[in-house]
Amino acid sequence: MASTEPPAAVTPPSSKPNLLPLASTTIITPSAAASVAVAPTASSSSPATPSVTTPRPIPSDAEVVHIPSYSCWFSLGDISECEIRCLPEFFDSRSPSRNPKAYKYIRDSIVKQFRRNPSSKITFTEVRKTLVADVISIRKVYDFLDAWGLINYSPAALNKPLKWEDKDSKSSQHATDSPAGPSSDSTPPVRETSKRLCGSCKSVCSIACFASDKYDITLCARCFVRGNYRVGLSSSDFKRVEISDEMKTDWTEKETLQLLEAVMHYGDDWKKVAQHVGGRSDKDCITHFIKLPMGEQFASSAEFGSSINKLNQMKDDNNISSSSSPSKRLCLSPLADASNPIMAQAAFLSALAGTGVAEAAAQAAVTAVSEMGQGEPKADIRSLHGVQGLQDASITSNGSGILKSVEEAHSGVNPKPEEKEKVNVEEEIRRVAEVQMKQIQEKIMHFEEIDSQIEKEWKQMEQMRDILFYDQLNLLKHERAIRKSGQQAAEGVRTQGDFVS
Amino acid sequence: MKPLPSTSSKTPVKFRMPTSENLVPIRLDIEVDGQRFKDAFTWNLSDPDSEVSVFAKRTQKDLKLPLAFATQIAQSIQTQLTEFRSYQGQEMLTGEKIVPIKLDLRVNHTLIKDQFLWDFNNFDSDPEEFAKTFCNDLGIEDPEVGPAVAFAIREQLYEIAIQSVATARESRNAKKGRRGEYSSISSRSTGAALDLMKLFSNRYSVVRKRKEWDVYEPMVDILSNEEVNALESMEERKPR
Repeated sequence: MASTEPPAAVTPPSSKPNLLPLASTTIITPSAAASVAVAPTASSSSPATPSVTTPRPIPSDAEVVHIPSYSCWFSLGDISECEIRCLPEFFDSRSPSRNPKAYKYIRDSIVKQFRRNPSSKITFTEVRKTLVADVISIRKVYDFLDAWGLINYSPAALNKPLKWEDKDSKSSQHATDSPAGPSSDSTPPVRETSKRLCGSCKSVCSIACFASDKYDITLCARCFVRGNYRVGLSSSDFKRVEISDEMKTDWTEKETLQLLEAVMHYGDDWKKVAQHVGGRSDKDCITHFIKLPMGEQFASSAEFGSSINKLNQMKDDNNISSSSSPSKRLCLSPLADASNPIMAQAAFLSALAGTGVAEAAAQAAVTAVSEMGQGEPKADIRSLHGVQGLQDASITSNGSGILKSVEEAHSGVNPKPEEKEKVNVEEEIRRVAEVQMKQIQEKIMHFEEIDSQIEKEWKQMEQMRDILFYDQLNLLKHERAIRKSGQQAAEGVRTQGDFVS
Repeated sequence: MKPLPSTSSKTPVKFRMPTSENLVPIRLDIEVDGQRFKDAFTWNLSDPDSEVSVFAKRTQKDLKLPLAFATQIAQSIQTQLTEFRSYQGQEMLTGEKIVPIKLDLRVNHTLIKDQFLWDFNNFDSDPEEFAKTFCNDLGIEDPEVGPAVAFAIREQLYEIAIQSVATARESRNAKKGRRGEYSSISSRSTGAALDLMKLFSNRYSVVRKRKEWDVYEPMVDILSNEEVNALESMEERKPR
């Protein structure tokens, strides 16, 4: 009697319950086994979490690997256009060993190797020792993956302080966060007493040094001038870092008070401010002033109203005016050094446009983009508007990013009781930006209404056109019918006449 | 069964690696201040020379070697590339050239011994593909073995190519002098290669003779730590 229950010995453990193996054969479908095996690896190579969001709840046994949001096109299964564009030598069949298959082999091996241990950075030499290919092909793919953050991308890098701040805070972060990071200038995590070693002559940098973040190299001024760096780098890759500034101690409370007084008196004249403070250069004063804490710990009080407004204005000027170079760099830096050229350009444009405009535009574009994403059919006008909004949106999002980072910088420094007046400055700026954003939002809504009206009218016109066409058709039909009947009648008469006669 | 024609194409060919891609095997053995650095990899000749210093610097930095290594590495690579290039204009003799390739290498804990025949005349051959398949088929877990195998094959092919350049030169000079010496020259030029006639002399079967089976069978051995240490100390003592 053929029973429906499968014999126990035959049922493979990993098969689905509704798979009934035949009584005599014991074929285990390999696909069932394979699909189970794939699942763990699929979850372990989970892709992009966007760079600045709260972390999702991590599944218990999967390892989450972070990659930046501008690299979300990447997938291990196939080759995307981005890769074809960036590494054309693998795809133009000029060289027999550089073909898509070889590229995929190298790329997948590197990524898998990195993902086996995502917390530590993987070096080029480790990779090239394990791949069967010529070393330059490996280097090209490795550099590509590194540049796009698909390997060696640690979320700790997102919270990097702004570039123009003290370099030792950055190097101290390097020393503390990535334990396996091959930082050539390993410095003790103490702010004041960090020394910087030159990468080529191994001497302590004293006055000024040049750092290239692209290749993580530090050169002393002498080596930089001599051109003692690798081929492939140019002098533009290096940024000047003043050591003498970094060596100075923190600002004392007395100095900060003097600074504030001076700023209130002299406003934008930083030379006089520097004189008043004494012992600090004007750049230092500007730097420190912007760094002053604007935290929420300090409640706003009415008596500081006028002084707050004044400081407000000065802050605004400082943020937007191009005369003070650190603030300009403040605007540029959050994304200007990103390896992604598009974001760098967006950062540059936003710096030109100014924070308020940039913010407002970004808000507009965000709303426009979200509506485009809903898939409603739009007329050409609308899509053009959306594109325009999109361009502005990227700038504005940078602007809001700028504000956020300013906030962070402020909250990072220890709050001081004398600076209660500074509390509202941030708020005022925020309010101004919000108002502007609302204005633009209303404009957008207005345009949307006009758009929908135009669509309605267009539809009406179409309907009328259809009706007209229908009428014409009917008319023609009638005409023809009448003509036919007329002819028939005429013929009928003739035949009758014939018949009669 | 007709005997194979003994007239093989002795037309000289421009020097190159007899593989689909002209990759050069580079070996490094640098000693600075008591620190020894040994390495072996393949280099693509079509890449610009600026890559040499970049690569050297990268290697030195990644392996945290002292700075002097970078320049030495770059120099060594450059020398070997120039040497390779110096052969490039010249001609080499090819013909029916089946060469035996021997693998006898130790990579970390894996010991490999193998021997097989390679067609030197096949300019589409791919040692990299061979190495990958080799590692897959033999279940070798250490990923560093693959590149080492590919490198070993390339190195031997390179040496044979150099030899054939030398013999081509000799034969050219000989041709200018004497004219009746073809047979002796031809046998000399295929010195590294096996005579096909001998190989297929057994007319009844193409299966290899039993006594040669062990030689041609790949052998992979995983060593323990002590064995590795013993071998390493032996290797270091040898050149000294």
